[in-house]
Amino acid sequence: MTTRAWLPRQGLDRLIALLQEDGRRVIGPTVRDSAIVYGEIASGADLPNGIHDEQAPGRYRISSSSGDDPAAKAFDYASSPSSWKSWTFPPTVPMARATREGDRLTYDDVRHDAPRLAFLGVRACDLAALAIHDEVLAGGPYIDEDYADRRGKAFIVAVECGVPSSTCFCVSMGTGPEVRSGFDIALTELPDGYVLRAGSEAGRKVADRLSLAEAGSLQTYAAAGVTVAARAVMAEQLGVTTEGLKDRLMAQLESDGWDEIAETCLACTSCTMVCPTCFCSDVKLTTDLLGTTSQSERRWASCFTLDFARVAHGNFRPRVRDRYRQWLTHKFSTWVDQFGTFGCVGCGRCITWCPVGIDVRKSLLRVAPLRPALQRSEKPVPVSANPGHYSLGTIAESWPETKNVYTLRLTDLPESVCNGLPGQFLMLDLPGFSAVPISISRYRDGEIFLTIRTEGASTYAITSLPPGSQVGLRGPVGQGWPIEEAFGRDVVIVAGGIGLPPLRPLIDRILANRGHFGSVRLFYGARTPADLVYTEELKGWAARDDIVVGVTVDRAKVGTWSGAVGVVTHLFDREPIDGSHTTAYVCGPEKMMSATSNSLAGRGILPERIFLSMERHMECGIGLCGHCQMGRYFVCKDGPVFSRRDLGESLDLEGM
Amino acid sequence: MAMPKSDKPLRVGVVKFASCDGCQLGFLDLGPALLDIGLRFSIVEFGEASSRRAPDGPFDVLFVEGSISTDDQLRHLRHLRDRASLLVTIGACATSGGIQALRAWAGNDRGIAGFIAAVYATPEYVDTLATATPVADHVQVDAELRGCPIDTGQLVELLTATAIGRRPQLPSDAVCVECKRAGTVCVMVSRGEPCLGPIISSGCGALCPGMARGCYGCFGPRESANGGSLADWYRGSLGLSDERVAARFAGFTAWAPELREVIDAAGGPPGMRRAASTAASADADVDGGVA
Repeated sequence: MTTRAWLPRQGLDRLIALLQEDGRRVIGPTVRDSAIVYGEIASGADLPNGIHDEQAPGRYRISSSSGDDPAAKAFDYASSPSSWKSWTFPPTVPMARATREGDRLTYDDVRHDAPRLAFLGVRACDLAALAIHDEVLAGGPYIDEDYADRRGKAFIVAVECGVPSSTCFCVSMGTGPEVRSGFDIALTELPDGYVLRAGSEAGRKVADRLSLAEAGSLQTYAAAGVTVAARAVMAEQLGVTTEGLKDRLMAQLESDGWDEIAETCLACTSCTMVCPTCFCSDVKLTTDLLGTTSQSERRWASCFTLDFARVAHGNFRPRVRDRYRQWLTHKFSTWVDQFGTFGCVGCGRCITWCPVGIDVRKSLLRVAPLRPALQRSEKPVPVSANPGHYSLGTIAESWPETKNVYTLRLTDLPESVCNGLPGQFLMLDLPGFSAVPISISRYRDGEIFLTIRTEGASTYAITSLPPGSQVGLRGPVGQGWPIEEAFGRDVVIVAGGIGLPPLRPLIDRILANRGHFGSVRLFYGARTPADLVYTEELKGWAARDDIVVGVTVDRAKVGTWSGAVGVVTHLFDREPIDGSHTTAYVCGPEKMMSATSNSLAGRGILPERIFLSMERHMECGIGLCGHCQMGRYFVCKDGPVFSRRDLGESLDLEGM
Repeated sequence: MAMPKSDKPLRVGVVKFASCDGCQLGFLDLGPALLDIGLRFSIVEFGEASSRRAPDGPFDVLFVEGSISTDDQLRHLRHLRDRASLLVTIGACATSGGIQALRAWAGNDRGIAGFIAAVYATPEYVDTLATATPVADHVQVDAELRGCPIDTGQLVELLTATAIGRRPQLPSDAVCVECKRAGTVCVMVSRGEPCLGPIISSGCGALCPGMARGCYGCFGPRESANGGSLADWYRGSLGLSDERVAARFAGFTAWAPELREVIDAAGGPPGMRRAASTAASADADVDGGVA
């Protein structure tokens, strides 16, 4: 097979037929609902022959050229309303079915095998989008198995773009218009046929079976001109200046521009739904009326919805400006930190399909540019835990710590769960309820302890289970407390309220290896004496001579409390801290952690030696669903433990 | 929503105020799921379905259809609230006031009197308020099911969640989400069809856009509904007059504050802004407005 072959116009049907003979359904452009959409193609007759699109912000129309022109092109349009992710990452995918009979649980995987598909007419921008999804969904230690299956089976026929629309800016993003890689076969459409080249072994095999002649020099020359023309069109249009963009954007987190855009933005999610790289998802549960079976389904989700960043006691992004900022800074800044590329390929769909015509290029111009990136975590990644894959544990015992906090002791656990790290958490599941992230509060001889505050239906239901009941578990996941950062140094541990449980495995481990550390001090504050957890254990620790324990409450009724009253940072004054030799671990409400870390920094502890554990809405627990994003981080995967330096100013910014 | 937890079947009532009864039919449309409902719930009051009545409850869960348009209804609603642990409003009338809430734009008692005179031969026997208002304006509501009519899938979800004691998963996102998941091409962008979808709560399965029509808002405004921006787009890019903007917003959930604001800014529902002294002309215009 030659490097450039000539596929005559009528030969396209043969290519489609060959792909079908291989057992593939061919998905390509076709006209439906006054638009050129991707759908199943039986033959070339189903393609949008002689149909063009015209796109502008918030506006899309198609038109037809001369009726029966035999030279009418099949790919004479820029892009479609929805992207190829509809096939590689479908809007809804069944995941698991859970059944609960008495105290026994069963989980069944209900995913389907991926169909064998061929994508016909993939543009360079969309190839770049697929490459980005490969990195996001299948490039890390955890993979989206459904995506990997669909992607692995897809055969890709790219078609060079010659007619960009007014909303296109692939040239700015460096993704097009020329098709460079990631295809099996690439076509360049000319009036009487196609210049064909293969980009993979599978593509070469298909091309060989077509037995084509080599493309002539005129044909090759004309083909090269197609994308040259496209590039020239885009050079005249508004683009995006990517130089320094990542940092310029992060410098403007408090810009008035966000408020201005939010006046127009409807937060309708259309931009994220049509975006070929947006990958956020939800788990939707369907429970039967008797509560015995629960079916879960992965669905497209969006950072523009209110529920997206909701946790039991509130919402991290209540305002539309917060949500737009989250989206734009993710696409053009934090995505680079996470995955090494922009999260935008310049296809322009978010501009065309915004119902009120918000133009992302103009948004970037309005909200201009600031700071250096940090590397993705190089820490070892803990045990595997894909969504839908649950292991089981049995509740051996449970007891109340306070009026709304319970500790469960779990047994019959897989070894991987018992070998987790201090500070890691589990996604805890009971069929019929949403899974909840819960920190492990103690590891002991094949058992773990979970200390849970009842805040919503899931935690209420789980803490009400009688001993002997099973629960579903994924994990442990996340980055734990870096204990090695305190070797040979003084240790300060500061806990607020329900923040003590995630710290307890750290305390256990430090006390078990006491000789490796200098002085060890625990400062613990709660609202009232009744909100203190582990009160007996605190007394036990306080009685030891190798750990100093300070306890305080915000308020107490006269006669009920003989200890300190006031915020936890006041305890620091009683115990002088040598900041230069100290490592600190802090967990509690976000405002308490902010105040505590500032106070510790004021005593000379470097921000990189102050570690905090963050809380966010989590659905998957492994960095795939997108809910827990905080700036450049997925809190579940990159955290929950972060150093104060890595969190930077985002800890103190509202709405992140 | 609070969580009743008991092994005894929950006592359920279904009642109505000013409404067409269509949402109550949602229960009867459940089909086979009705059998499971019988295992977890005991329907003690449902005038539309059964002549065996317990009109005073007490109810673990009371479903309320319809808006409040007379003094009698208001008194009765307060009585029922006292007899119910959970009160769930169903449908556009109960949650937003319904199409009948448009009467409020008649503006004053003389205006409403004009409406009554146009409809009833002996208006002196008719005792009505000048408004038709949502239930939540008068008593505490624990959950609402939107729509005209309600979606049976959401009804099942609410019943299931109530039975097992968790929060129902009811969406607060836009109709756009359902259009995009379904692969429906945006009717506003591709055809210039005015659509309320971006500011309206999902849950209907994007029925109207799926039929190539713009959403007319029967599920009511979603959180963060930015009606002003959408109306600006209608005017500036779709070329709609103020009157047509108001007509598109003045549908089944017109009285919801987020829509009302836009309607008032555009001069009121077509026909009614002219003081509504002649009901006949108002009727004609309103009819055109909500179609």
